[in-house]
Amino acid sequence: MGMTLVEKILARVSGKDSVKPGDEILARPDFVIAYDFPGYTDVFFKEAKEEFGVDKVVGPERFVLFIDHMIPAATPKEEDMHKITRAWGKEQGVPVHERLGIGHQVSAELGYATPGAFAVHFDGHVSQLGAFGTLAIGARKGVLEAFVSEDMAIKVPATVKVIIKGKLQKGVMARDVFHHLVRVMGPSSCRFKVLELAGPVIDDMSIDGRMTICGQAMFIGATTAIINPDAKTIAYNKGRSKIDLEPLYSDSDAVYDRVVEVDITTLEPIVVAPPSPANTKNLSEYQGLEVHSGYLGSCASGRIEDLRVAAAILKDKKIKSGFQLHVVPTSQAIMSQAVKEGLIAIFVDAGAFISSSSCDYCYGRIATMTDGQRAVSTGTLNVPGRMGSPDSEIFICNAAVIAASALEGCITDPRPYMQDMLEVL
Amino acid sequence: MNLKNMCGRVSWIFNDDNFDVDQIVGVKNIKVTDIHELAALAMKSYDPEFAKTVQKGDVVVGGENFGYGHPHYPPLKALRHLGIQAVVAESFSPGFYRGEISMGFTLVSCPGIRKLVSRWDTLSVDWENLTITNVTQNKSLPIEPMSTMDQMMLERGGFIPYLKGRLQSAKENQKGQ
Repeated sequence: MGMTLVEKILARVSGKDSVKPGDEILARPDFVIAYDFPGYTDVFFKEAKEEFGVDKVVGPERFVLFIDHMIPAATPKEEDMHKITRAWGKEQGVPVHERLGIGHQVSAELGYATPGAFAVHFDGHVSQLGAFGTLAIGARKGVLEAFVSEDMAIKVPATVKVIIKGKLQKGVMARDVFHHLVRVMGPSSCRFKVLELAGPVIDDMSIDGRMTICGQAMFIGATTAIINPDAKTIAYNKGRSKIDLEPLYSDSDAVYDRVVEVDITTLEPIVVAPPSPANTKNLSEYQGLEVHSGYLGSCASGRIEDLRVAAAILKDKKIKSGFQLHVVPTSQAIMSQAVKEGLIAIFVDAGAFISSSSCDYCYGRIATMTDGQRAVSTGTLNVPGRMGSPDSEIFICNAAVIAASALEGCITDPRPYMQDMLEVL
Repeated sequence: MNLKNMCGRVSWIFNDDNFDVDQIVGVKNIKVTDIHELAALAMKSYDPEFAKTVQKGDVVVGGENFGYGHPHYPPLKALRHLGIQAVVAESFSPGFYRGEISMGFTLVSCPGIRKLVSRWDTLSVDWENLTITNVTQNKSLPIEPMSTMDQMMLERGGFIPYLKGRLQSAKENQKGQ
């Protein structure tokens, strides 16, 4: 009987010939990834030593830490947190990368998104490494297990295969596709399962778009998301991967929990309205609603194709007076690329505020909203209080919608601004 | 199953699917760290008298995909402080489930639970036969089994004691071989 990509990876890292959903196994993560955050990494460092007597992690070359939250620090306490992380990395021989961008993206740039690898983190948005055929799971505080033991106990998840068919309209992006899946399949439709994405839309989609969809897997209930490697992702990893692995693929006779087909030909730009990521609506329902700020960034969006489409809309235009537009590329490598392409100059000339890469806009640590304010955002989610006051509102949308809404000061369909643009955008 | 069977009064029913647990204390209070302050805030917007009426050993009931969104730990800490011993829901959001089980807190998955109970009924959970009984109304439903590791986390009181146990047995097995 065939196996899914997830089952093959878990069989490999548990030293078995085969595994099936429901099996409880001990799996050795190829990579242990984390960013420093109070209550997580500082606690892991302390508990590993004090509770388990583990002074050195096993296989430090598997570990990588990022400083991407609270960057730059705004209080001595925040900088103290970073100092603890840097010191731990030095002591353990574990690299600590800071100021390179959001760790989930930088992980891919540095070669931790190896096709066929198994990676763990405490944060579920690491699922975006699934875009490369990496099985990347967020285990919350359970990731402590990887700090004190070479193996982690896990239950093999079943896989739901979603085949995405049709052709995306101009102005409709990967971000819309994901939230449309939540709408048609339901926010709990993949609970405790892995979402395997396939089909012509995924085949044609850029790596950026695939990372966007995979990174949001938790909001459809999934443990993570994954895409079988292809020429694009293998080429990306050539000379970059941290470990040598034969890429793995789902067998043609693999057994899925279910197979779902979704056609996106008629999909229009969406917004995810407050108060929950389960609340996908057509943008047209909210067209004209006044918004005060826009955030283009995060680990979900803010990659080069997001910046390109937003810049194409904003080129030679000014954002609405009083509107606050924050553009935060997902990594410094993306920032550099955007500078070279002239995109940053377009944003600055349009009146946007540009920031080096940081997670801090996504959860309201900076660019914080007050009562009664409303944002359009490509951040990860829209629960009340996520970007400041619990009485402010967040509408999640794609990068083109952010740009068009910034021009008009209200939720705006980007398609009229894109009529003359090339298909490739 | 070695899990202890339990019995508790239903002190609240969250009827919403995809319930965001942060609402239990209110999003603006999510950073409150003092447990007494948190407990005093808990459930205020649902029932201002909740803290006075709840008893040690009570349970709360939830809908589908309970804990969806971006769950934080303080709301359930507050409920535990008030005496809540478990949540019984139609189903749980995975991130929430993993987080709370690792705190050693009992979560019972029971499709159909909302139709089985009214507020203040008494529920009894039988882990051996995988059933839940509404003792007040004398009605029962099956519950979903737990993985071995989740059971061990509950039996041992959370993730750290579970992990110590797992590593200890691995060491003993190695010696035995």
